[in-house]
Amino acid sequence: MDDLFSLKKAFLEEIGSVDDLAGLQLVRTKYSGKKGLIRARLRDLSSIPPDKRPLYGSTLNDIKNFIEETIRNRELIFKTREKEQRLETEKLDITLPGNFTPFGRRHPVNQILSEIKDIFVSMGFSIEDGPEVENDYYNFEALNIPKDHPARDMQDTFYISDDIVLRTHTSPVQVRVMEKRDPPLKIISPGKVYRCDSDVSHTAMFHQVEGLMVDTGISFSDLKGVLELFIHSLFGADTPVRFRPSYFPFTEPSAEIDIGCIFCSGSGCGVCKTTGWIEILGAGLVNPKVFEMVGYNTSEYSGFAFGMGVERITMLRYSIDDIRLLYENDARFLNQF
Amino acid sequence: MRVSFEWLKDFVSISATPEEVSHSLTMAGLEVEGIDTSVGGDSVFEVNVTPNRPDCLSILGIAREVAAAYRLPLEMPGDDIQGDLPASDIRVEILNPELCHRYTGRLIKGVTISGSPEWLKNRLEKCGIRSLNNNIVDITNYVLLEMGHPLHAFDADKLSGSVIKVSKAGKKRSITTLDGIERELSGDSLLIMDAKKTLALAGVMGGEDSSVTSGTRNIFLESAFFAPVSVRRTSKELGLRTESSYRFERGTDIEFLENALNRAALLIRETGGGIIHEIVDVYPEKFKPATIEVNYARVNALLGVKLEKGEMLKSLERIGIVVEDRGEVFHAFPPAFRRDITGHIDIVEEIARTFGYGNIPARLPKTILSGGVLNHRERGINRIRETVRKTGFNEVINYSFMSPSDLDMISIPVGDIRRRHLSLRNPLKQEDSLMRTTLIPALINNFAYNFSMGARDIRLFEISKIFIAETDRLPTEGLRMGGIFYRENIPSLWKESAQAFFIVKGALQSLFEEMKLGGYTFVPSEEVFLHRGKSADIELKGTKAGFIGELVPDIAESLNLKVRKPEIIVFELNIDTILAFLPERLTYRHVPKYPFIERDIAIIIDDSLTAAWVMDVINSFRSEFIETVEIFDCYKGGNIPAGRKSLAFRIIYRSGERTLTDNEVESVHRELLEYVLEKTGGELRYRT
Ligand SMILES: [Zn+2]
Repeated sequence: MDDLFSLKKAFLEEIGSVDDLAGLQLVRTKYSGKKGLIRARLRDLSSIPPDKRPLYGSTLNDIKNFIEETIRNRELIFKTREKEQRLETEKLDITLPGNFTPFGRRHPVNQILSEIKDIFVSMGFSIEDGPEVENDYYNFEALNIPKDHPARDMQDTFYISDDIVLRTHTSPVQVRVMEKRDPPLKIISPGKVYRCDSDVSHTAMFHQVEGLMVDTGISFSDLKGVLELFIHSLFGADTPVRFRPSYFPFTEPSAEIDIGCIFCSGSGCGVCKTTGWIEILGAGLVNPKVFEMVGYNTSEYSGFAFGMGVERITMLRYSIDDIRLLYENDARFLNQF
Repeated sequence: MRVSFEWLKDFVSISATPEEVSHSLTMAGLEVEGIDTSVGGDSVFEVNVTPNRPDCLSILGIAREVAAAYRLPLEMPGDDIQGDLPASDIRVEILNPELCHRYTGRLIKGVTISGSPEWLKNRLEKCGIRSLNNNIVDITNYVLLEMGHPLHAFDADKLSGSVIKVSKAGKKRSITTLDGIERELSGDSLLIMDAKKTLALAGVMGGEDSSVTSGTRNIFLESAFFAPVSVRRTSKELGLRTESSYRFERGTDIEFLENALNRAALLIRETGGGIIHEIVDVYPEKFKPATIEVNYARVNALLGVKLEKGEMLKSLERIGIVVEDRGEVFHAFPPAFRRDITGHIDIVEEIARTFGYGNIPARLPKTILSGGVLNHRERGINRIRETVRKTGFNEVINYSFMSPSDLDMISIPVGDIRRRHLSLRNPLKQEDSLMRTTLIPALINNFAYNFSMGARDIRLFEISKIFIAETDRLPTEGLRMGGIFYRENIPSLWKESAQAFFIVKGALQSLFEEMKLGGYTFVPSEEVFLHRGKSADIELKGTKAGFIGELVPDIAESLNLKVRKPEIIVFELNIDTILAFLPERLTYRHVPKYPFIERDIAIIIDDSLTAAWVMDVINSFRSEFIETVEIFDCYKGGNIPAGRKSLAFRIIYRSGERTLTDNEVESVHRELLEYVLEKTGGELRYRT
């Protein structure tokens, strides 16, 4: 029996000096391994006198359990301590910058263009595309702007030849669609347009979105409803809107649509030329002459058309004071959007 | 047009403030863009008169609108010329009545040419016309501003044969106009002539020879109606626009021109004396107002309002339109000063305008539902744009123009389709005189600009159309995406060792993967502006869809970057081609559940063999167990002999039906290895 107590004592001494998992593993092998001291005693059990054997056996078993449990406990402590140490020592300077390539930005004009398209698409309009280099017929004549008409002065046109121009608006797309399809129609035609003009508010190329809706029973009232909804979606539901008479050869009655100046809230400033209003859209009922050109029955169908400059809206949105900044393509500018 | 508020009050006794009147005009379609209060106590409106409203190009015209808006009477200045007048001794003959519909004139004898009275000078100057120290000229200008009708005064003593002839030039002629410039006239120009010579360009400008000077005693005052198209053509041909031509080409009031003539004659007598003679009036075809039938219900339907008959008719009468009720419909007879009103829709517009756009209710249309989804193409372009920007490229937009030198800068060969460019007839500047056939030159400029601003990590892309000229039809417009990349080799926190070419190639590959474009290959490029060893054409199932590569040293040097061997990578993709190859629909592929086994091989092969070629060799080895093959190393130098390189591949083996054993994989892997070594003539460096 004494050897058992000295075994336990030796174990307690040894384990008391063990300080890590590796040391603990050595102790475990020595005492409770397959060739360990406990197994050796078990094997030697037959050499114990039979009368002492039960007590010896149960004592050995207690010691075995004690040793195993002590080792397990120690192991748990060491493992916990080791994890703690890892958490303590593997420390990053988390203030260093992350490793990434910043996303590029969409050009601000294309961002606004997307917003505009999304609003109309959500209202059931489809998107139509057409040539940027156009026949004079589609750009002017089919839109009730014959040659020698003073309305041609409203748009300074780039000419390729007598009959081919850079489109001055995206309205020709609407004519092309009407030639191919019968009403009802709900389309928008976004894209680049060209005018030979260049200053702080004009560039030789800019973007327009024009729209067209044709059906039976379409009225000026519908035009107002759709465009108010659009403006409130784009600029906010509280934006004041006003419609005032104007002139475009392809619409009649024609309107220009102003929003309450977003810089001075209508009290008057330099941007709105003290009027408190900023022009944002042109629109009107489609002139019956345009319908006649594409063969629509003008007593059955009516419709409205509208158009807007995307750069102008972009400039208003971001308070950009010179349109040419949009085409300088300076990354320091583009990165802001 | 500048409109003096004080002058306006001659015609309408308005008590509203200039601000109120300006607002009313704007809401009636005559937009007041500004009010100038810098002119001695008066307010001068800057009115934007649209081309359809020439009747408003005068104080009188604006006054008519103000009177209608405020429901006030219009007060006209007296233009009755009292007493027996001597007969005119000048005859008028209109030889081209289709171009001159009416010609009136008065001879005034014994006038004194002098400066004009202060009040008259003041009004002219407020409205932007300089007084010329010549009461006759000043008065014709004054009446032009006031009544909107252009007049012209001739020195009657300089006329030959006491005759005025209105006629086409018939042949090439020349005239020295009032501004002292000798002008060549085409045969189609409408002229005012006497028995011998050309006196004036009808409706555009008078001639110097017959003009009123300080020594003039007798004048002949002209007030006529010239056809808008004729005046516009002459004015455009000569590049000569005057206050007079501006009004004639938009349309003047054929009835009222007589009143304007009389008004001017009276003013001349008042300031310079003289004896007014009897009017000469040649008016071959009298003005007959148009009859326009309008349906009441149609007006309400088009505007979305419920106006009573009486309301419609009264509002039209207030702006000078005569109306007759005919039950369901009414007839409208527009006055001579409203030549823009020709059809029923013009009447609808007038009703809407006078009713006030603000009073028309806004409603959402009752219409069938339609699928407002972005179409296939639009969605595709959006995804391309979004993907490329997420690889770090900023989007730019350039003008669609290019300079004649741009194609030479990137040495586009003669005969290349990109040489088939369109030229603008009237470019703003020479650098912007052609339509782009490639996006690359503009992107190089964008790069150079940003570099000059200090940027050293530049990634830009653009999606825009290019234009290829065709004979006898509109050009071909193609959608392209171009890009440019440059990154200075500067130490950075997180080392990234990839070469510029592969960073951009990687961006394009992530685009192709995102778009689910299978079967793209990078093959050697033939673009001459790209570095032969660092460029590729991109093919989609054998169709060229674009190129990528480093700019040749010549171009890089021409940019004067002061950087040794700058690696500037450009690319251009044909978006139309890419969109055409997008898969129509995706179908789900079974995801295998059984475990995989991974094996690597590294082989040493001839340096001239490309990775893609070796990959093709591996892929040509048929085994149902090979799931993926990936290159993970390419190594030259060290213990690899010169002229050879080591390529390492990782192969994933997996079955869709069961768990593979090590032995099964080992036998396939060994066969694969032998196959590859035999096909490539390579030797094994290592394997797992
Ligand atoms: Zn403002």
